[in-house]
Amino acid sequence: MKPTLLKMSHISKSYPGVKAVNDVSIDLHAGEVLGLMGENGAGKSTLIKLLAGAEIMDLGEVFIDEKKVDINSPKSSQENGVSVIYQELITMDTLSVAENIFVGQLPVNKNTKLIDWKTAEQKSSEVLSLLNSDINPKSIVGTLSIYEKQIVEVAKAIHKNARVLVMDEPTAALSEKDSKSLFKVIDSLKKQGVGIIYISHRIEEVFNITDRISVMRDGLLIGTKKTKSADKKEIISMMIGRELNQFFPEIKSEKKGVMLKVSNLNIDGIIENINFEVNKGEIVGLFGLVGSGCLNIARSLVGVDEIDQGEIYINGKQIAINTPKSAMQNKIGFIPIDRKHEGLTLDFSVKQNLSLQSLERLGSGFMIQESVENSIAEKWVKKLEIKTPTIEVQVKNLSGGNQQKIVLGKTLETNPEILVVVEPTRGVDVGAKMDIYKMLENLCKEGVAIVLVSTDVPEVLSISHRVLVVSTGKIRKEFKKGEANQQDLLYEASLS
Amino acid sequence: MTFSSIKINTTMSLFIFLAFLIVLFSFTSEHFLSPYNITSLLTNLSFSGIAAIVLTPIIISRGLDISIGGVIGLTTVVVSALYSQTDPLPTWLILIIGLGTGAIVGMINGWCITALDMDPIITTLGAMAIARGLAYVISDSQSILMFEDTTDFISNGTILYIPIPIIIFLITAIFFSILLHKSKFGRAIYAIGANETSANLSGIAVKKTKMILYVMCGIAASVSGIILLGQTSVGMPQHGIGTELEVITAVLLGGTALSGGKGTIYGTIAGVLILGVLFNGLTISGVRYVHLQIFQGILLLVAVATYEIKTRNEVAR
Repeated sequence: MKPTLLKMSHISKSYPGVKAVNDVSIDLHAGEVLGLMGENGAGKSTLIKLLAGAEIMDLGEVFIDEKKVDINSPKSSQENGVSVIYQELITMDTLSVAENIFVGQLPVNKNTKLIDWKTAEQKSSEVLSLLNSDINPKSIVGTLSIYEKQIVEVAKAIHKNARVLVMDEPTAALSEKDSKSLFKVIDSLKKQGVGIIYISHRIEEVFNITDRISVMRDGLLIGTKKTKSADKKEIISMMIGRELNQFFPEIKSEKKGVMLKVSNLNIDGIIENINFEVNKGEIVGLFGLVGSGCLNIARSLVGVDEIDQGEIYINGKQIAINTPKSAMQNKIGFIPIDRKHEGLTLDFSVKQNLSLQSLERLGSGFMIQESVENSIAEKWVKKLEIKTPTIEVQVKNLSGGNQQKIVLGKTLETNPEILVVVEPTRGVDVGAKMDIYKMLENLCKEGVAIVLVSTDVPEVLSISHRVLVVSTGKIRKEFKKGEANQQDLLYEASLS
Repeated sequence: MTFSSIKINTTMSLFIFLAFLIVLFSFTSEHFLSPYNITSLLTNLSFSGIAAIVLTPIIISRGLDISIGGVIGLTTVVVSALYSQTDPLPTWLILIIGLGTGAIVGMINGWCITALDMDPIITTLGAMAIARGLAYVISDSQSILMFEDTTDFISNGTILYIPIPIIIFLITAIFFSILLHKSKFGRAIYAIGANETSANLSGIAVKKTKMILYVMCGIAASVSGIILLGQTSVGMPQHGIGTELEVITAVLLGGTALSGGKGTIYGTIAGVLILGVLFNGLTISGVRYVHLQIFQGILLLVAVATYEIKTRNEVAR
């Protein structure tokens, strides 16, 4: 065994109310690729931030070459040879490749005290050629592709003599071809003795390129396996952990004919040839990993994302949806993913939010009739059991669960026949979750067709009557209720 | 604390400040409270007040219009130039063309801001320069005299002893306060300013609403221009220089936030009155016009600083 390059020992970090990382220990050898896996919120990102010095650990020690080091700032992390390539690349897009690689330490001509561009560009080329890349050091980074930008970041890390390289979801936005090139780069870095921590949700690629896999869940390290002897389904069940529990209501499907039909939907480069139907009183789940295209399918149904091709039929009649307003006019309601920025107007009162989608009905003419608005607000506060002192309170003062109920209420006030729901219970407490499921159940009974986009595996499996698995912009698989377990679903979604 | 109670508090403190100014100036100048001075004060502030009222919903929608001064200048020139033709059109038609001038500038502003997604400040800054430039071209940089009964009546006439400009200002204020605070259109304006994404997702016609606002603001600037033309009996390209600053100061002083979603017509009325009383009071107390400019600049900065400090405290809570 090669010597231990990095050892993180008994690391803990708490934020108010959560133990984000709880007594986690991992190690990494020179020339090794360690996969780090876990669901959203498992603690991977926090662990990486601690290593990068972007956050300060509460407890624990870090050793490099078996010597204890203090990491208390991004600078101290870099000085110890750690480089992190974040998913949202932090390149300086208006500067050249050479300037990015040499950031802060451009070579200076001894006589003139001016920047020695020739040396900078020549050395940049050398580093880039180590990565099998022929990017021109003079190019402006903003004009490069995402893959090329990643290579610039890797080059920057190599130039700083990084020995531990962390890559956070590097292939999330890459094509298959670019991903393959990246894997070659990773391979050559391994040969140069760089240790790599590789974070990804894509199980296939993790199995292809890593030597070992560490799995985190709820801030804990669940285990570390040798990739060769590990099994994909085993890793997935380590990631999920929790079993389906009782608190999902059994929602009966009342099929009464096709309500929504989507035919050959395309958004160039994002979703491809999407076909599905939703019956009255049926919940169809769309499940996919981040960047799979699920969200775009949902958004194109409600006039947010523009489609390049395809037809949408409601009750057999083809309709055109190009704005949220036209979706509403066609009786399609939308519960967006981000309630604070998309769903609600935080400075508005409970009442003003609940009535916003129904402005035109708040009185016969030009004016808002206050009695109509009040009765709408009071109806939903009662129906959805929204906990608020009065209907005049600004919604920013309410809890996440109550805010989400308001998003639901304002949409339901428009009497939608089709409801597109994205992550309806994210960041919501258990009680409010139950209320929201109950509401979806009632809507089903009333014959509303529901499209549910959720990355919460137990939720999407339990609530939907059918689940369509989406990956790289295509529907890959359809499961009827009870046909799939959590492992199957995640496995299908991670294929591409 | 609820949304509406904050509004009342802010506006109330402005009116208290206004009362303080009135008491102060009644001591520094014996003429301040004379009927003649009060009437002239109100007539003078009506001119910029009308534009301030109509600018308020734009700022609430998180926009801005700084082409107001340019439109005022252009309108005075267009109207007076048309009237000075040897065989002029009927006055009512000339006035409609005058209002149309502002409407067209507003439409261009609205189109750039909604269809091209351009920044409102830059768009209307460009429009200001173009309008002012056109005014110089049309007038050949000359003043155009205009003695005409209708415009004279609009600017200097009275109904029941109340000067017409004050009446126009009051009607505008009442109309916009109902529009903004009681109508569906007004609610849409607040929704757009507070969170444009959620407004759009809620089915509000964001672009159409903005378009209407900029057109209305252009027309209001033309109304101000016509009043100014009647008061001075001369159309000239320099009319309205600096008016945008005065108008924006009044609106921000009234508690409307540049970051959108907050503001009231009552607040703007308070802002207009404070600015008018301050200028008038300082002038008749012997302060020179050049010094007033400095006061106006300071007031603008104080208004914005107050807002920033207030939001910071809210965030800190």
